Amino acid sequence: MVRDACGGTHQVPTDDMLSSRAIANSVWKTMKILLQIVGILILLLLATLATLKLKHQNDDGPSVLFPGGKLVSGTLHQGPEPDWSFTDDVFTIELETSDPVSSRRIFVMESDGKVYVPSGYMRSFLGKLWKDWAFDVEEGSKAAVARIEGVRYERQLVRATDPAVVEGVAKKLAMKYGGGASPEAVSQIMQSVADGDTWIFEMAPVSG
Amino acid sequence: MKNATYLKVCVGITLVWVLGLLFVPPFALAVEQIMLLFLSTSAR
Repeated sequence: MVRDACGGTHQVPTDDMLSSRAIANSVWKTMKILLQIVGILILLLLATLATLKLKHQNDDGPSVLFPGGKLVSGTLHQGPEPDWSFTDDVFTIELETSDPVSSRRIFVMESDGKVYVPSGYMRSFLGKLWKDWAFDVEEGSKAAVARIEGVRYERQLVRATDPAVVEGVAKKLAMKYGGGASPEAVSQIMQSVADGDTWIFEMAPVSG
Repeated sequence: MKNATYLKVCVGITLVWVLGLLFVPPFALAVEQIMLLFLSTSAR
């Protein structure tokens, strides 16, 4: 303790106290820099989501990840039901749903003469954000337009839950996108459908 | 970094990033591919 000119007393900082203050300062500076970096990363993520969503929302078709708008270009298929087996050679199609109008890229599987699309990750938090269209279809309008190799097909989406149907679709899904239709892969997909993690929609003909 | 400087850096980086997404298609595509990879491995 030292006495100052006014008669007050002050504690003289020891080397230990100075050292711990320096450490605290250093930790705070590091924390601040880290927080600033995290802040910039969050800002860039939000800017990316907003920019790409706005950029694509009225496009004639989707981007790789972000939904597009109404499918406009391409001839509209009219006439008899096509042989959907040609989709075996198509990796993804563009699928427009109507309420709200939006389009996305999606896998496609033909099974037993019918054509199906999947929607995965349906029970996860990110999946619920990412696959909101499937919830919209389930609760609202089933009308859809699929654009495959430049041709648009008017369809309606009907959720498939029958295990016999799902098995055929699961085989095609595993074969086309999972590296092979092994019994394990097929049963894993069927379990995922039964658990509600994956939804399968038939792109059925428009009735009436 | 002072708060004012930090805010200026944030605005500058965001502006460059957004302009890149809007006007440089390969950059936007690469960003989307990375996000798709993240989603397909994390959204389980």
